[in-house]
Amino acid sequence: MALAMAAAAMAAVIVPLTTTVPLATAAAEPSKTGSAAADVTIKAFLGTYCTECHGAEKQKGDRRFDQLSLPVSNADALLDLQDILDQLNLGEMPPKKAKRHPDPKEMRESVERLTQLVADGQARLPSAGGQTVLRRLNRREYINTVGDLFALNMIMFDPTTKFPGDQLVMQMDNNGDALRTSSYLLDQYLDAADQVVEKAFKLQQRPPEKTWTFNGNFRQQDQLDRVQDNLPNPFRYLNIFESPKSFKHNGAYAPLLAFADGVPADGFYEIKVNAEAMNRNHTFDPAIFSPMDTKEPFRLGIVPGNQKAGWLHYPQTIEPLLAETALGDNGPESHTFKVWLDAGYTPRFIFPNGMMSLFNAATQFSKRYGNLLPKGKFEGKAAAYEMAPHIRIHEVTIRGPLYDQWPPASQQVIFGGKPFEAGRMREILEAFASRAYRRPASADEVNRLVAAVEQRVKDSRSPLDALKDGLKAVLCSPAFLYLAEPEPPAANSKALSAHALASRLSYFLCSTLPDAELTALAQSGELLKPEVLLAQTRRLLASRKSEAFVQGFLDSWLNLRSLGDMPPPEGSYFERYYGHDLQNAMRRETQLFTRHLLDKNESIVRFLDADYTFVNRPLAKLYDMGDAVSPADGNEFRQVKIANPNRGGLLCLARVLTFSANGVETSPVTRGVWLLENIFGITPPPPPDNVKPIDPDVRGAKSMRDLLSKHRENAACFECHRKIDPLGFALENFDPIGAWRTNYEKIEQVNARTVKRTLGPVIDASGELPGGESFKDLPGLKKILVERKDQFARTLSERLLSYACGRRIERLDRPDVDRIVKELARREYGFKDLIELVALSKTFQSK
Amino acid sequence: MKKTGPLINRRFFLRASGVTLALPLLESLSHGVLRTGTAIGATAGSAVGAARPVRMVCIGNALGFYPPAFFPKKTGEDYELPTLLNPMAPHRKDFTLFSGLDHGAKGAHYAVHTFLSGVKSADAKAMPEGNISLDQRAAETVGGATRFPSLTIGAEGGIHGGTLMCWTRSGTRVPPISGPKELFRKLFIGESESDRAAAADRFRLKGSILDVVQGDAKSLERQLGKRDQEKLDEYFTSVRDVERQLGLRKQWSNVPKPKPGIPEPANAGYISDLPVLYDLMLLALQTDSTRIATLETGSTAFGFQADYHGLSHHGQVPGKIDSIVKIGLYQMEQFARFLGKLKALEDGDKTLLNNTMVLFGSGMGDANNHSLYNLPIILAGGGFRHGEFKAYPASGLGRTQLCNLYLSMLQRFGVETNRFGISTGTLSGLGVA
Repeated sequence: MALAMAAAAMAAVIVPLTTTVPLATAAAEPSKTGSAAADVTIKAFLGTYCTECHGAEKQKGDRRFDQLSLPVSNADALLDLQDILDQLNLGEMPPKKAKRHPDPKEMRESVERLTQLVADGQARLPSAGGQTVLRRLNRREYINTVGDLFALNMIMFDPTTKFPGDQLVMQMDNNGDALRTSSYLLDQYLDAADQVVEKAFKLQQRPPEKTWTFNGNFRQQDQLDRVQDNLPNPFRYLNIFESPKSFKHNGAYAPLLAFADGVPADGFYEIKVNAEAMNRNHTFDPAIFSPMDTKEPFRLGIVPGNQKAGWLHYPQTIEPLLAETALGDNGPESHTFKVWLDAGYTPRFIFPNGMMSLFNAATQFSKRYGNLLPKGKFEGKAAAYEMAPHIRIHEVTIRGPLYDQWPPASQQVIFGGKPFEAGRMREILEAFASRAYRRPASADEVNRLVAAVEQRVKDSRSPLDALKDGLKAVLCSPAFLYLAEPEPPAANSKALSAHALASRLSYFLCSTLPDAELTALAQSGELLKPEVLLAQTRRLLASRKSEAFVQGFLDSWLNLRSLGDMPPPEGSYFERYYGHDLQNAMRRETQLFTRHLLDKNESIVRFLDADYTFVNRPLAKLYDMGDAVSPADGNEFRQVKIANPNRGGLLCLARVLTFSANGVETSPVTRGVWLLENIFGITPPPPPDNVKPIDPDVRGAKSMRDLLSKHRENAACFECHRKIDPLGFALENFDPIGAWRTNYEKIEQVNARTVKRTLGPVIDASGELPGGESFKDLPGLKKILVERKDQFARTLSERLLSYACGRRIERLDRPDVDRIVKELARREYGFKDLIELVALSKTFQSK
Repeated sequence: MKKTGPLINRRFFLRASGVTLALPLLESLSHGVLRTGTAIGATAGSAVGAARPVRMVCIGNALGFYPPAFFPKKTGEDYELPTLLNPMAPHRKDFTLFSGLDHGAKGAHYAVHTFLSGVKSADAKAMPEGNISLDQRAAETVGGATRFPSLTIGAEGGIHGGTLMCWTRSGTRVPPISGPKELFRKLFIGESESDRAAAADRFRLKGSILDVVQGDAKSLERQLGKRDQEKLDEYFTSVRDVERQLGLRKQWSNVPKPKPGIPEPANAGYISDLPVLYDLMLLALQTDSTRIATLETGSTAFGFQADYHGLSHHGQVPGKIDSIVKIGLYQMEQFARFLGKLKALEDGDKTLLNNTMVLFGSGMGDANNHSLYNLPIILAGGGFRHGEFKAYPASGLGRTQLCNLYLSMLQRFGVETNRFGISTGTLSGLGVA
């Protein structure tokens, strides 16, 4: 009884500790007084409360503190000490069932002493590395950078498809030390440079504007054409039935087969479509055309297709949505779009909220309404297709290419707005290399380029072709491929040069090279002034280009890049995931939410719990928010208020919940680890070698909680799983795609084709954290997380700093992180404030 | 099986690959390149019929095979073939089946890519040879002897990127050639005169770009600190490697590609492509376009069924297990068919199978629980002594590394090395016939 009370009292005290006790003094000077006494007291404290489990006899968690040398003299001891401090601050140690617990006063004093010891150690020890290692552009930076260098439209052009994937460190894709260069990659750089430069200079003459009209003989894929043959007026219309996310793609893409070679030149094209929503208001059983929503107007979209990349009736890798509109219900209507198309790409029409399977729909339709259909296999089908909801295109007119400027921007930007002359070769090369290298090119570098270009002219290339070859060389130079940060001239300084700082800021916030304004400020050295750096940070954050930060950082911090690697299996149960393109909607929601925090400088606590989010109609349905988004603009995202305490915040985002499941079943362990790593910033050690993985049993005989509780009986597992599992259990009410559920599912195979799903055990989302705090459901856990916001602030700050600098943030970087977190607390935790604090930190401005 | 004439037995090939590729083939194959020995004899002038080179083929999938239908109950020579191995009945003297071999890797789908390397890409940096895969390690020693040092074939994509089998020394992935059409073009479509001239000019251009950037790298190096200089070494090494490869490619560009005499196949979708890829791989070996080939069968891209991954998490539901076994069986049938063809082809005074070691398996042990232990592994041909089911201890201290098998294969291939990945030696109990 007394013990329990002590524990309860402690839990009550520990939580405020994290907010009231400064985690480290900001002083860089080691304190000179009282440290010997502090060492003795701390040793006594450790001897009393810790060494029973972390001493000579037992070394739980591989930690041993009885031999700890104080004051701190090496990095290992510093890490140990930091670990101890973290555990005390978290209230996780000593564990509840330990024999002895310090009283609140003793605890507070020890934490203070430890904090001082850590600060002293950090000041005394030289940094163990703590620098950004020569960092090459990763794949997305490469794409953005060449796009900007040549003012190229990159939506249909990816010169990096053969690049190997970038190496990840803590899910970050921009860690200089880890990003490798190989002969294979260099070979790809050579090819990519060729593609990029040739594309930029492809159009030497302005291509004539042409018009193509299509209003008949609309052949489609065989399966549809066979049926069309039975119509009185076959191939008169171009029909779209299925969502492009359907499984079979039977009438999902409507290309113009007569225009399969695509447009003749890169440029804008005006596309005029006369289309009609057919049978939107039908009286048949809507389930037949699942998952269509009868309330929604039909949407007509345009995506590009390239027959060299594959069959035009199937999805292709490069398939951005170029345009979309909702169709009215009053017969054929015309819509005009202006879209960009690369040479060889042809527009394909899609029906994003179409049905999932035309084949299944037709089969069911003829079963239910066979009396309405004529006899004969194809005649019947043709009639069923006619009665099914679909989009009918009457006529398409394409006009182009159209140009806002000529010569194209890609050439103007290289030639400096003047025509090309062989005499300006050096000038052009120097200007281009200086932009590409993100600093003035040296005379040496320019000389080498000029010599190479002259050699090419001797090899009988035209001057322009030879110049192109020089530009290709620039794109393969290490000065372009690496974000080189020259060694600071002064031995005791780590400060970056103005140009290196400009690059760091630009790649942090825009994932591309510095723009003209930033470059000018680097050139003049003004950027080194804190107020200028701050102003530039704000300017870039407000610009459209900072979308690269939102996407790049979210993917890295939350490891959300992998969504889509392990999707739910295709089948009726997850039909809405595919049919409604939830995958992209989830991605968009996370980005919009983060963008909102950034733009409004909202508190980062909103990541932990928020009473709003951003949904389109399909996502609103997944979240049981019904008609939060009106049918009329079903695909638009809206900020919506959340009344349900089980939603709101990162933990409840479908994207996070889908990613942290494996598409088939949920795992409290995976979700728990995700939360521990990304919210608490703690990476649990990998499971010991002698443990067998848990074999999931979906027959419903045992719940995951039963299986895991058995697992935790093993002492080796217990240490970590007591931290992991409770967090994961709190999320068990979310199914593998983030929909709410109250029970597990019992899945029985009735026969080879049919699976029976019935309600299984009721889900218990309660749990107890290692420190003894317990919660009965997800809102309870979220409340605890919000109370621990400082820890989350630290995790987020470290991740941001790591992303910004392209390196790991080590324990030894802690003083700077502490400064950021402390100042952030003072500024009410604003997300934009946090990014500004990161950009202005010493770490960010140092090599 | 003595043989002196052309390498390829026309009748066999008609019979064997008629299944999938519409032939008339091989008149053209047997004249030109092969008869004059240009391609085969690129290791200067070794005459047809002389000691034949050893080849290596590795085939893997991302989701493994349902273990109870893969591993026999009894070890030794007279084991009963389990369901999945039924198609292998005609070859039982020509392959060895292993159990208890793995890399001890964890990480579910994320670690399946260790199949041919034994090392996770994330851990590559700490390893002396990175996470180089078996095939790429062997390919390093082939040099310019063949047009392609190795051919990496198969599906792109799938769960966590797919099977991701082949890796270079520097921890970068070698992406596969993805379909029959692309593979065919790579193997057989030669260049026109103007294309060849353009190719020669490209070689010249690449050479001069490499000169420029090497100069840039030297300038840059002088401004950098020590850590950065070490990093820049990767770049210098890459430049030298690319220069060397360029030299070899220049030589090969003057040797015409073999003529297949068959029309270019179309990519016809997951299921139909698999046998065609096997056939083209066979052609690549026959024409000595390469001596090393890998085939990755994916998870979604090579789907067989839309929800292959879903099925692999069968949760012990019998109907799902039946389906997953069927998917495995199809892969096994195609593999057996490939072995049959290798066996029927003459290569010097032996069969092509005799001179080709064929590894078949997966980095996934049991997809249902994501275990990467006890991987399904078959080794066929290559002159090893075969015919047995060899069970190595599945747990405890006496565990055997799969890399030991790989080391044995590399040594057989002619690579002079005592280690590969996390090997502890060669595989005990594996003999040469």
